[in-house]
Amino acid sequence: MSLLRTSLAAIALGLAMPALAQDVIRIGAPLPITGPLSPEAVKQQRGYDLWAETANKAGGVRVGDRRMRVEIVYVDYQSNTPRAVQAAERLITQDKVNFLFSPFGSGAAKAASTVSEKYQVPTIAATASSAQVYDQGYKYLFGTFTPNDTLTEPLADIVKAQAPGVNRVAILARNDLFPLAIAQEMEKSAKARGMRVVYSEKYAIGTLDHASALTQIKAQAPHWIFATGYTNDLVLMRKQMADLKIEAPIVTMIAAPAYQEFIDSAGKGAENITSAAWWHPAVRYKGTDIFGTTEAYVQAFKAKYRADPDYGEASASAAGALLQMAIEKAGTLDRQKVRDELANLNVTTFWGPVKFGPTGQINSLVPPVFQIQGAKPIVIHPPEVKQGDLRLGVQ
Amino acid sequence: MLYLQVLLNGLVLGGLFACIAAGFSLVWGVLNVINILHGSFIVLGAYAAWYGHALWGIHPFVSILLVAPLFFALGYAIQSGLLNRVIAAPVLLTLTLTFGLDLMLSNAMLAAFKADFRKLVLDPPLGVLSLGNIVLPVDRLAAMALALLLTLLLYLVLSRSRTGRAIVAVRMDREAASLMGVNVYRTYAITFGLGALMAGVAGPLIAMIFPISPLTGPVYLGKAFVVCVLGGLGSVPGAMVGGLVLGVVESFAALWFGPEHAVTVAFALLIAMLVFRPTGLLGRKGYE
Amino acid sequence: MSNPAMAALHTAARRDLGLACLLFALMALPPFVADTYILRLGTTMLMYAVLALSWNFIGGMAGYPSFATAAFFGLGAYAGGVAQKFGIGMWLAWGFAGLLALLFAAALGLALLRLRGHYFAIASLVVAEVLREIINSATDLTGGGMGLNLPLRTGQSVEQQADFFYWTMLGLAAVAMAATLAVQHGRLGFGLRCIQQNESAADMLGVNTTATKTSAFALSAVFTGIAGAIYASWVNYIEPPDVFDVLYSVKPIVMVLLGGAGSAFGPIIGAGVFLGLEEIVWRRFLEVHSGVLGLLIVLLVLFLPRGLAGIARRRARGHTP
Repeated sequence: MSLLRTSLAAIALGLAMPALAQDVIRIGAPLPITGPLSPEAVKQQRGYDLWAETANKAGGVRVGDRRMRVEIVYVDYQSNTPRAVQAAERLITQDKVNFLFSPFGSGAAKAASTVSEKYQVPTIAATASSAQVYDQGYKYLFGTFTPNDTLTEPLADIVKAQAPGVNRVAILARNDLFPLAIAQEMEKSAKARGMRVVYSEKYAIGTLDHASALTQIKAQAPHWIFATGYTNDLVLMRKQMADLKIEAPIVTMIAAPAYQEFIDSAGKGAENITSAAWWHPAVRYKGTDIFGTTEAYVQAFKAKYRADPDYGEASASAAGALLQMAIEKAGTLDRQKVRDELANLNVTTFWGPVKFGPTGQINSLVPPVFQIQGAKPIVIHPPEVKQGDLRLGVQ
Repeated sequence: MLYLQVLLNGLVLGGLFACIAAGFSLVWGVLNVINILHGSFIVLGAYAAWYGHALWGIHPFVSILLVAPLFFALGYAIQSGLLNRVIAAPVLLTLTLTFGLDLMLSNAMLAAFKADFRKLVLDPPLGVLSLGNIVLPVDRLAAMALALLLTLLLYLVLSRSRTGRAIVAVRMDREAASLMGVNVYRTYAITFGLGALMAGVAGPLIAMIFPISPLTGPVYLGKAFVVCVLGGLGSVPGAMVGGLVLGVVESFAALWFGPEHAVTVAFALLIAMLVFRPTGLLGRKGYE
Repeated sequence: MSNPAMAALHTAARRDLGLACLLFALMALPPFVADTYILRLGTTMLMYAVLALSWNFIGGMAGYPSFATAAFFGLGAYAGGVAQKFGIGMWLAWGFAGLLALLFAAALGLALLRLRGHYFAIASLVVAEVLREIINSATDLTGGGMGLNLPLRTGQSVEQQADFFYWTMLGLAAVAMAATLAVQHGRLGFGLRCIQQNESAADMLGVNTTATKTSAFALSAVFTGIAGAIYASWVNYIEPPDVFDVLYSVKPIVMVLLGGAGSAFGPIIGAGVFLGLEEIVWRRFLEVHSGVLGLLIVLLVLFLPRGLAGIARRRARGHTP
């Protein structure tokens, strides 16, 4: 369906602007359009489509002295990682795309990166944060999320500074690449500041009941509860915490609180929950990319989708915008040259300052830390863009 | 105190497991059919309750009454229309058939409802019950009570009504029952209908407690398997005992081995039971 | 057996062997003409052919509905992967994976093969779940939920790698096929068929049912395990939910049913037809692909319980292999 829609849109655009060159830049985007991860695919698609539309409306991407339209080719890999790898190969060999966007999440991005590396196709991962994704020494993979410790370190700093009595930490992580990796980083960050980790366990994917784990956590009387998982895991956990009357000065959850769905589902339970993400609509950057400033990006997103963008959607748009900048700098679609330009990028964009480290993962962002206050995410760090201060106490 | 809370957590969950498994056990015991659709029926019932609540404010307890006849009809239709054709076929074929049907239903639900999780939020919420240091959520207690009630109702139907006795007779000896004038195929259809009904009414209870999504079907099915093996096939008291045992086992396994192992321990227990005592904890097949 | 029966058996065996050689010779051609994506499809098909042929030993010939295929596959994938992590060479790692799967199946068989019908099915299904969680927890050894990386092959171009894995899988399928033919036309096959018809009678006739069943179960594991290890080397990154996916147990069964249980060629034909259909469905029916798969299965069971080979056999008027 989306392939059809994209093709129709591309045809319509092409017919509407006959003066433009007919050449097209094709970018492959394998997404979990069906299956458990489909809500994430929707976000990614919104981000990519907004970028493609914006670029095409401005006349297309400058390649040397021509302008070329952008077309995103979507393939559904059914939330199944082996199929994601297959989809990546299909996009390269059959659909003959010029570049690739990674599939969703650290696991699938890592799996598919082997294909991009084999075929030497520049690939940007919009949703892969775990350093493990980038540890193979590949040259063609780039990521827009900074490593997990860039989220946990500022969090730990803030807690240490503003809640010095906190020193018992309980960690409960979903046994999945990203949630587990970031929980491990949290453990390190907490211990590095002299806090005691009194509980650290993982729960299986698909767990429907956290009562036992939470009962144990309650028995440890922690000051800081750190939980990772996807939206449904964390909503359930929050409810069960209330069921068991668990209270703590600080409760941090990653990654759901950034999404409106979490706030809606958790209701009053979302109040004072802290979280961190790689971007927030409240940050203010003046970028040299196609969107320009962060406010301009948020406006454009709101105009098209009638909602504020979250970090997943923004990251997808950023991936497109960055690819565009690299192509324009290279002046050609030659994969090697575009790859080199990506590696040498050192720019400011609506997404933040962008510089890719030696592994291909971005290392220049300062991820915002935020807290749900009054049913809205309020940025409490970094100081330049903060909207409020940390509040203690989660009932 | 910790142990008491963990025990109670487990028992409360166990009551729900009993209800989930009772219908499944019945179908397996009487028709010798493993109904892979069972998990998806539960999820479908949960969605029915969710939509009833979201669109018309129908309380899940009321949804139970509405859902029951619908699912009975659905089960009856599936059995008499499709399963009856292969009822005499080897185990593999019936298993594969229900698996294929489940794929279709599961996909239909995924397409209709999307994969994101929904939560049925009662307003005002039912709150929690505090007994000293022990905290029990009222919604779970209510669900457990209803679950046990429904399971008890099933047991009464089977032991007191004519249809129920017919089902038991077919379970014990198909040929003899047939000679006694029992319409075996109709009994099969009724049994499957009852199984679907039990799954359907478990749905609203599930919706009250857990987030629902078409993807959770296999999880409930897995629980049903373990409960059946623990409690003995085709036995409703067995399902009750098996359910409670499973709830407690999972609760303590999470405590002693870590939460990620809770389900693994349950499955390992399943294998152990199959190897050493396949007739289940209650020992005998059939009804008492 | 009387002499005419023996002669008929030998003719059947030779005919089957000839057909198999022809089939595999044909299947060796694609790397010369097809692109890497088609080869990927082909390699996947051959992998499933191995799984289907393997299942056929315990499910088709012995009549024990095993759902343990995913367990053996995942075990083989991780055995191969972890072995290579410790520096063991690829071929040796594959052999190790096969051996481990075989021993595991033999041990498992002691406990499970005493069960019949549904009980056996469930127990075998659950084994995969338990194995998956065990591997998920051994984070230091296997990477747990974060997955296991296998090194990329150096010194080979993309096309050469595609060819390599295609022929490797083809080789494994050929070995599995040879084993199938050998078993089917030999004493083990005879014993298995007896067990399938009536196990108690077979026991009374002097068939060592325990040894026979266990051999079949072990055979169903060894090739599957090696296939898992090859798969891991092929995709370079594995995670527990991927390699222990229950569909690795279910799809081979459907393929054998589709192709016709009891025929040596059924599994391969079933694998080819099934995957061809799946590829077409993937390209056309984005939202409803698993529903369409389910529909296919339902239609298969209701109208074609003897599979495609069953149609062929009906045409040939009752020749039993």
